Amino acid sequence: MSYGLSIFKADGSLGFSTADITWQTLDQFTVAANASVSNTYSVPTGFEIIAQRQLVDVPPNSQEDYAPNVTVSGSTVSVAPQSGLSSSQCIVHVLTRDP
Amino acid sequence: MAYGFEATNDNGKVIINDTVENLHFVSKATRTGDDGGGYSDFPQYSSGSDYLDGRVIHTYTVSCTGTPIVFIKPNDYSRWHAIIKQSVSSNTWTFQVLISGTSTSNPPDLYCFVNADDIPVASGDTWGMQVFKSDGTTKTFDSRKQPLAITGGGSVSHPSDPTDSSGLPGLTGTHDSSSIHFWNYSNNDHDFRSTTRYNEYSNTNINASTTMFSCPSLAQGVHERTQKGYKVSTSFLNPDQHHYSTALWWVMYRGVFRLRSGYFDAGWNVYIAGYQFTSWWTEGGIFGGGGGNITAGTRPYTPKNINMGSNSYIIADSSRYD
Repeated sequence: MSYGLSIFKADGSLGFSTADITWQTLDQFTVAANASVSNTYSVPTGFEIIAQRQLVDVPPNSQEDYAPNVTVSGSTVSVAPQSGLSSSQCIVHVLTRDP
Repeated sequence: MAYGFEATNDNGKVIINDTVENLHFVSKATRTGDDGGGYSDFPQYSSGSDYLDGRVIHTYTVSCTGTPIVFIKPNDYSRWHAIIKQSVSSNTWTFQVLISGTSTSNPPDLYCFVNADDIPVASGDTWGMQVFKSDGTTKTFDSRKQPLAITGGGSVSHPSDPTDSSGLPGLTGTHDSSSIHFWNYSNNDHDFRSTTRYNEYSNTNINASTTMFSCPSLAQGVHERTQKGYKVSTSFLNPDQHHYSTALWWVMYRGVFRLRSGYFDAGWNVYIAGYQFTSWWTEGGIFGGGGGNITAGTRPYTPKNINMGSNSYIIADSSRYD
């Protein structure tokens, strides 16, 4: 390439460059069982935000482990139990990128 | 920006800056074993429609600071995969990965990524480029560990019916003379496999050789087929003797995923399954027999789907981290 940024691995091969796309981590947090959380982030205008949920320490054969709902509205990520249900402990990964 | 560092890609999109952390490759998780596989059919049952998709559960561990985002790189792209459990003790994470089928061959690889500020760096590894936040201590990028470059992503959900037969399994027969099933009738007629039950999401960046995905499995479903049987034995000398039976097949499914060339599929696979048969009868009838009952198997769950909301998936090229 004639311009931009290239980052090479220790073996000299290309590892990352301005030809790539990435998601970056805006936040990671654990939501306790039955808890609600709402976080507002400062991100550059227009950045896209997604949230991944991961249940932690949940037995895979339990029928009543409900993941909390996650909603993304602008730069605010809200986590809350599903209506009328108890929710299990959950890790939320908030990722962002310049779309 | 007035100060700091920012790198934009060829399309002018930010890929490194001093405010948001990049994810970096830590290592592959170490596979510690599997459960031997099972559930290619219903336990303790052998008659009609006695087939399931089968599954194997592999266990992996990885030690790292921070919470990893884990990608599954299938080594058999025809099979369905999902992380069905994750737990942490100190800094060691343990993952259970469910794979369709019963062969323990070709377990997937798990590629683990953490924030720049959490990556381990060898003490002698002193060259490269680091980017810090304005606090001067929180690292957002470190070229000594391979940064995550993604090739796509989106939002996925699972179909509401995990079973190949049309419609969800249900109940037929009654415990009275109107029953369509005779006493002790037990012959499953519902295909509980999930071969054709998935939602597909087009993504031209997916190939079936190096693509890996990150998408936690949240969806779960339990469904059952029930057959009730009945007969009556009448006599002028004794009270009517009533005979009742209930045959029940149940499957607990977990949401799973598959990568095909050009598609990300969200489907289902059996996690556990069972068969319960119960028969009981009153005293009386032609011969004046006594009452009694027999029961085999268990029914530990009730039919329903949970966690059916959409979840985010991202994909990347595993070959960059080999």
